Amino acid sequence: MVKKIKRPVLAALVPVLALGLTLTGCTDSKDAASSTSSPSDSQASPAATKNDVIKPVALSVFIGGPGQQPTPDNKIYKMIKDKTGVSLKMEFLVGDLQQKMGVMIAGGDYADIMSGDDKLIAAGAFIPLEDLIEKYAPNLKKHYASVWNQIKDPASGHLYAMPAYGVYSGQVNDTAYGGPGFYLQKDVLKEMGYPTPKTLDEYFDIIAKYKAKHPDMIGFETLSFDWRKFPLLNPPEHLAGYPNDGGVIVDNGKAQIFADKDIAKTYYKKLNEINAQGLMDKEALVQNYDQYLAKIASGRVIGMFDQQWNFNDGELSLKSQGKFGSTYVGFPLLYPGATEHYRDRPVVNINRGFGISTKAKDPVQIIKFLDALMTEDWQKTLQWGIQGEDYEVKDGKFYRTPEQRAKADDNTWKLANKADAFLGGLPKMQGSYSDGNATDAGSQPQEFFESLKPQDQEVLKAYNHKTWAEFFKSPVENPIYYPAWSIDLVDGSPAKVANQKMEDLAVKYLPKAIMVKPDEFEGVWKEYVDQISKSNFKAIEDRINEQINWRIKNWSSK
Amino acid sequence: MAETILSKRPKKEQKIDPEIGVGLSWKTIKNQKQLILMSFPIVIYILIFNYVPIWGWLMAFQNYRPALKFSKQQWVGLKHFKFLFQDDTFLTVLRNTLAMSMINLVLSFATAIILALLLNEIKVRFWKRSIQTISYLPHFLSWIIAAGIVATSLSVDDGIVNQLLMKMHIITEPIMWLSEGKYFWGIVGLSNVWKEVGWNTIIYLAAITSIDPSLYESAGIDGANRYQKILYVTLPGIKSTFIILLIMNIGHILDAGFEIQYLLGNGLIVDWSQTIDIFVLKYGIAQGNYSLATAAGIFKTVVSIILILIANSTAKRLGEERLI
Repeated sequence: MVKKIKRPVLAALVPVLALGLTLTGCTDSKDAASSTSSPSDSQASPAATKNDVIKPVALSVFIGGPGQQPTPDNKIYKMIKDKTGVSLKMEFLVGDLQQKMGVMIAGGDYADIMSGDDKLIAAGAFIPLEDLIEKYAPNLKKHYASVWNQIKDPASGHLYAMPAYGVYSGQVNDTAYGGPGFYLQKDVLKEMGYPTPKTLDEYFDIIAKYKAKHPDMIGFETLSFDWRKFPLLNPPEHLAGYPNDGGVIVDNGKAQIFADKDIAKTYYKKLNEINAQGLMDKEALVQNYDQYLAKIASGRVIGMFDQQWNFNDGELSLKSQGKFGSTYVGFPLLYPGATEHYRDRPVVNINRGFGISTKAKDPVQIIKFLDALMTEDWQKTLQWGIQGEDYEVKDGKFYRTPEQRAKADDNTWKLANKADAFLGGLPKMQGSYSDGNATDAGSQPQEFFESLKPQDQEVLKAYNHKTWAEFFKSPVENPIYYPAWSIDLVDGSPAKVANQKMEDLAVKYLPKAIMVKPDEFEGVWKEYVDQISKSNFKAIEDRINEQINWRIKNWSSK
Repeated sequence: MAETILSKRPKKEQKIDPEIGVGLSWKTIKNQKQLILMSFPIVIYILIFNYVPIWGWLMAFQNYRPALKFSKQQWVGLKHFKFLFQDDTFLTVLRNTLAMSMINLVLSFATAIILALLLNEIKVRFWKRSIQTISYLPHFLSWIIAAGIVATSLSVDDGIVNQLLMKMHIITEPIMWLSEGKYFWGIVGLSNVWKEVGWNTIIYLAAITSIDPSLYESAGIDGANRYQKILYVTLPGIKSTFIILLIMNIGHILDAGFEIQYLLGNGLIVDWSQTIDIFVLKYGIAQGNYSLATAAGIFKTVVSIILILIANSTAKRLGEERLI
């Protein structure tokens, strides 16, 4: 059939078709343009503000994560309604967040209060909050005073989302520890008489002794798969007493890469030695993340350098198997003479937390409502619960009874008695209240200790600690620019390309350097350093230094 | 493909139908109006999906930034092509891509044909069905799962491959398969075979079914044994299928795959495992450098077209079936 149409006929048809297509294309786009412009015009009319008192109103809240609806008679939501007149209508994410936001943006279908996100901010879904907070929300203003400039959207300079986490007051009580460290299994510690390793030598000595007794165990573990290269790349900066700044160390506001410095060489040379002694997992540098987790979940790994959240899934599996002795404790190892800086204060996450959408009818009332919840009384109710029901007070210290603890772990109970979903995105106090109690039960040291399993308590008692975080030095206030790893190197810029090159070099040469025979180490290391010096690493340093200066200039709050 | 079939048809084959004649005339159009109408949807489809996107190739000559209007884009000429061809890594990834592609091509054709021939010889329906089902099931796994299975099988710890080789006393201690570049191409090739062999076999089995049974009978009468029947009847019977598939696959020679190399690759073997697609992902898309990604895409397309044309004309010269 097709064969019979001759070429000239077709040749004549093509331009006709093309013209037709172009015409339809034009009309379509015009239609689309006019139809989209009309609703946005009507949107632009400012929301009217009427009076000062909070009046009964139902607010819709979009939570950008999956969750369960609280029960209709939920204790806390009911209290919020009784005292502030605001009833909350929660909407949780179902399915994929990016897709959901796409649909919301396309239809302009916003809830009154929404979890912040770059995509929504870029789409202009939020109203700027600076003036509202200045005028109507003294508590919020006070809460965010120290980070005021930092939490503004860098692109527009407006404040769209009020960060939910990372603004501290009073003493900061870390209890669980999720950060970097050289980890050792609790059973290992127990058998070795609860040692406290302080240097790499002491640490690997423990591993060597334990592995000699238990040859089936896997010695030291690390990971260099996909973006999770930090277990391999980050140890040198921590060992040398620097906080986690990514690929650079910062001295007096000046950043430089450390991959080719002696602090790096010392560490990888050590790994090369222990690898030769058979103390390192042979597969550590070729396995993927799932294999790594599987090994940890099997309970056979003696120790590793990692950030706790990265192997948390493996630990959860151990806990569900009841193998509490196979979970881990972190230690801050240091080079001689270095000062410890493993633990840091969490950083404010600028694009997360609630914002008020352009669809909200009365932003003033919403900001007043949120401001009301920012008082200590409300914060205690939201974070601890109700005194006498959810927690007790003795000598001014908050604590929970075993029954209250058990209830607090029960998800069904929580749906009826806690407002966790709403609290998650709400501006909240962290650290401690003015009466010295921790802002929530999980960070009250004594309360945290009591809630642990006996095996864990035994380990903590042996070290005379109450929390896991105490194994690390209390963090100092973050420098204003911190952390350097969050600096955007700008897509397609020489710095970003150079950064990719550096990572490629690291995952290529470091495993090689670790796995070769000890007398070949120097050769591989030299090649690595040569390659780095040939790369454009200056571009990375320049960009980071420029941004550090920018942050110091613009983020400082008077 | 429809438009290429029409336009690339060699001159000498154009027999002129005396009743319709050549050239455009109202008479011709009238005569063929049903045909013309029927071809409309296909031509429109191809224009929209296969030709309009070529517009996007212009990105390769710009420093493309997504939010900007076309008139605001910065033109940079051949900068991105120069970056590609002057980068040492690109030459390595080109080598890897070609090598793994060739290995995959040869292995997958050979194994699929062999499996088809073997299956064809099995007379018990139950076994034939079972083997076929088992062999094509892995095709439905996504590469992320398949690569997980491969990585676990090759593990030093208690991977089945090392266990097996140890038990058979072929090796004395486990081999770290994924830490040596020299093993990687082989691993990729074999993984591909494991995953796709059953699926690739289906088309040959279909081709074999269409061979006239009387050919086997007459071969039998002439005294051919089982092997001779395979050699002189079955193989020539599926030759045309083979050639068409080969031509089509040659066009994809620069698509050595992405997932398996990405998922099994690691720093130690990056010089063997990185393919063009991974390189483009790392230095193009992940960096927001869409222009570079487009330039690499154009390069791949051009190479593919050239290879297809060569394969096609070779097939023509050998007097075989061909695509165009």
